[in-house]
Amino acid sequence: MKWLDSFFEDRLRAVAHRASRRSAIARVSKWLIGSAFLLPVLPFDRSPKAAGGANPSEIAENELDDQHCDYWRYCALDGHLCTCCGGSITSCPPGTIPGSVTWIGTCENPEDGKHYLVSYNDCCGAASCGRCYCNTNEGERPGYRMGVHNDINWCMGTDSTVYHCTVSVVLGTAAAK
Amino acid sequence: MQVRKTKIGLFVFLALTILSITAFAEIKPEKLTIEKMIKADPHRLYLTDLNLNNVIDGRIHVLDGNNYKYLGLISTGMFGVNALSRDSSKMFVATTYYTKRNRGDRFDQFEVYSTDDLNLELEIEIPAKHAQALPYKGTITSSFDDKFVFIQNATPASSVSVINMNSKKFSAEISTPGCWIILPSRSKTNQFSTLCGDGTLMTITLDKQGSEKTKTRSEKIFHPGQDPLFVQAESIGDTYYFVSFHGQIYEVSVADAKAKLLKTWTLLNDSDKSEGWRPGGYQLLAVHEESRRLYVAMHDNGKEGTHKYPAKEIWSFDIDSNIRVGRISGGNAIAMTLTKEKMPSLYVYDGMEAKFHKYSTEPVMKKESVSEPIGEFAGLIETH
Repeated sequence: MKWLDSFFEDRLRAVAHRASRRSAIARVSKWLIGSAFLLPVLPFDRSPKAAGGANPSEIAENELDDQHCDYWRYCALDGHLCTCCGGSITSCPPGTIPGSVTWIGTCENPEDGKHYLVSYNDCCGAASCGRCYCNTNEGERPGYRMGVHNDINWCMGTDSTVYHCTVSVVLGTAAAK
Repeated sequence: MQVRKTKIGLFVFLALTILSITAFAEIKPEKLTIEKMIKADPHRLYLTDLNLNNVIDGRIHVLDGNNYKYLGLISTGMFGVNALSRDSSKMFVATTYYTKRNRGDRFDQFEVYSTDDLNLELEIEIPAKHAQALPYKGTITSSFDDKFVFIQNATPASSVSVINMNSKKFSAEISTPGCWIILPSRSKTNQFSTLCGDGTLMTITLDKQGSEKTKTRSEKIFHPGQDPLFVQAESIGDTYYFVSFHGQIYEVSVADAKAKLLKTWTLLNDSDKSEGWRPGGYQLLAVHEESRRLYVAMHDNGKEGTHKYPAKEIWSFDIDSNIRVGRISGGNAIAMTLTKEKMPSLYVYDGMEAKFHKYSTEPVMKKESVSEPIGEFAGLIETH
């Protein structure tokens, strides 16, 4: 872990002066967790496998890249990004079925500074996409707060509960955190 | 000199002759067998692997923690959850299958495997609503006498399926709205509690067949808004130990029909708080009855959203004095468990490198070994 500590500090210094609505620590820790290790895919591993990880100079841009775990809508997303699986931020890939029940995140859009309610619908019925796995947990809570819980298969209310990937649909603005 | 050359020549001739006989010895016909499991000891490990990239094909890896030899696996279908029986002789599994692999008719099963040979011993169809959850402890568990097995359901409405192990039949579905995870009472084996979103615990008592008898809600015990509790909890007797997102331990008694908060205490001193230390992970807590020790996975610079981060350190506490008695590099733990021994070892699962780390615990925590990578998307460990 020693090299991780040093690495963390270096990255922190490098980006701390940049203007951002989100804290430098948050972004650096995301980058660090996201790209330091490529394999295996684990519950917290947030690296976008298809993209091969982030370039340090693109950290801010990643918040606007919908194939990256740091994309602003993905603040509480645990799953494969549908944007890497033939779908988009708001559409399921061809041949899949949109999940009928969802969990909700509240994420800040860095472009307008507003917080939005984001519905994380799972897309279902086809084998796991297996691409661009992300695991972010801002505002995520255990199963006794099911509507904001992401450690469960949200294909559970669908004809086929086989999990494929996850989209991030804006439902509207939320009160500021 | 000539004699010496002759001797050397003779030696070389004999050596070549023996070698050629050995090299061309005929292989006798062999018999195909099934490997017998070595007798389990407390260091046998069971690692639950959701295998998310091939989610219909989950498994439990079985290893010998003494040398990390791979012993075999149990297939657990799609989003299978599992738990050892109390005597570790059985592995209980609840899972989902489809008649046409990724489509068709859904059917959920409760399955029992022998840990002696990993063979399926029993399968019972259950309501097709078992929680397709990450393998959190308490999504399936048994009463402490193994008479009942409890399975968490989610549609997403929460309920619990009860299996009667005497009759080997599904006995009842009990509604547990707004509550999550199953916490059996050790002394009242017909009773379990569950954590609820309003900060209470609901306790359900069962009749002899396993149907609901009473349902009682506690006073408000924790604050889901300000400081939520992780759902993974460990027990000594009828006392469950929970840890909160901000590092408070909650000791809750489930001895009676109404759960009761006994005590809260903090993991953190002022210096820890200023450095942002927080608990994190999926199976982030372990307790040991004989030594009265509590182990917890911790990371610094914690903030909203870091509650599943791998451990930077593992801290140990004396449960009675609430004093921290040890801290050690955390092996990126996202899961941990103790062996069931008087002087236990602590096994943790490294969420970054997918390895096991083994620590001795007495007299102080000390790392003893690290395994090769194992598992694809794993997050729950049990020891035999």
